[in-house]
Amino acid sequence: MRDHEHSNIADALGVALVAALLLASRPAFAHLVDGSATGGFVGGFAHPLFGLDHVVAMIAVGLWGAFLGPPAIWLLPITFPMVMAVGGAIAILGVPVPGVEIGIASSAIALGGMIALAARPPLVIAALIVGAFAIFHGHAHGAELPPGSDAVAFSVGFVMATGLLHLAGIAFGLLTRWPAGRIGVRAAGVGIALVGALFLSKAI
Amino acid sequence: MSGLLQAFVDGFINPLTTPAHVLVLLALALLMAREPQRFVVLLVFALALVAGFVAIVLAVETTPARTVLLAVAAALGAMVAAAWAPKLLAWLFAAIAGAALALDSPPQAVTITEAYATLAGTTVGACAMLVVVSAVAAHVHADWQRLGLRILGSWIAASAILVLAVQLR
Repeated sequence: MRDHEHSNIADALGVALVAALLLASRPAFAHLVDGSATGGFVGGFAHPLFGLDHVVAMIAVGLWGAFLGPPAIWLLPITFPMVMAVGGAIAILGVPVPGVEIGIASSAIALGGMIALAARPPLVIAALIVGAFAIFHGHAHGAELPPGSDAVAFSVGFVMATGLLHLAGIAFGLLTRWPAGRIGVRAAGVGIALVGALFLSKAI
Repeated sequence: MSGLLQAFVDGFINPLTTPAHVLVLLALALLMAREPQRFVVLLVFALALVAGFVAIVLAVETTPARTVLLAVAAALGAMVAAAWAPKLLAWLFAAIAGAALALDSPPQAVTITEAYATLAGTTVGACAMLVVVSAVAAHVHADWQRLGLRILGSWIAASAILVLAVQLR
């Protein structure tokens, strides 16, 4: 009984801590912490890691890929960076995309929801869903890509960090081979969707 | 270190440290790894590189070589990601990459001899990178390793597309 109470208190503290972190963090449009482009590989690598909404969505892409199994497990992380780059190029060329922040938050809700519900749509539909959201993520980042000599190193770092987040999601998603792991992955999907919902409430 | 040797080393290091050059060389090397006759691709690249250097010696005007390099890197990266490499297309992109890399590497030497040493160093450095990376990639056999190379190709394509957009802005 006492253990049960302790467990409840620990859970409540955990939820409160996560909620506080979420509310204190800034959405993807505020990736540059100090407002200035740091440039170079390190700056590019750090860039996607400062937006929690972006981080959870990228992990969700890998998780969902692992959940869907081959060929999605490799198709999604291969196509996502290229479609995201197209979204980035659209932003760099000055073409506006409406509702970018809403799109990013929605991506976490949708992808998290897919994982939580163990949804298995046809591969084409899954690729279209992920690709559509990749445009929003790319647009948010592309708008902040610094011009000049550091642009190549910056974009390499930025793409690598995004790709490694996918791989982290895939690694976590491999737990679906075990029944308990499946539950854990689906629970992670619920968490990702909740994070998305929080960011959506801030974006609207 | 003598001036000539220093110039050669500077030229050797240049394609290995310029991010746009590294992108295109990596993508081409990964594509070469899938080619049974990868030394033909290397030969085409090297000849085009030398032709580009001849153009520099003949004082060719400023060219959009960097933009072309990035476009080729994007195309090659996408081909690696798609695991699709028609032989003729691989040769064509190798030729364009070689010429563009040469035109994007004008030597900053004081004397003509040092300039030639720099160009020779760049040729050796770029070809060495292609040989080493393609040889390593060609020995990758496990499924997950092959997928890793394809993911690397998609990262190269994505990076090149982003920078290309910056250049075209």
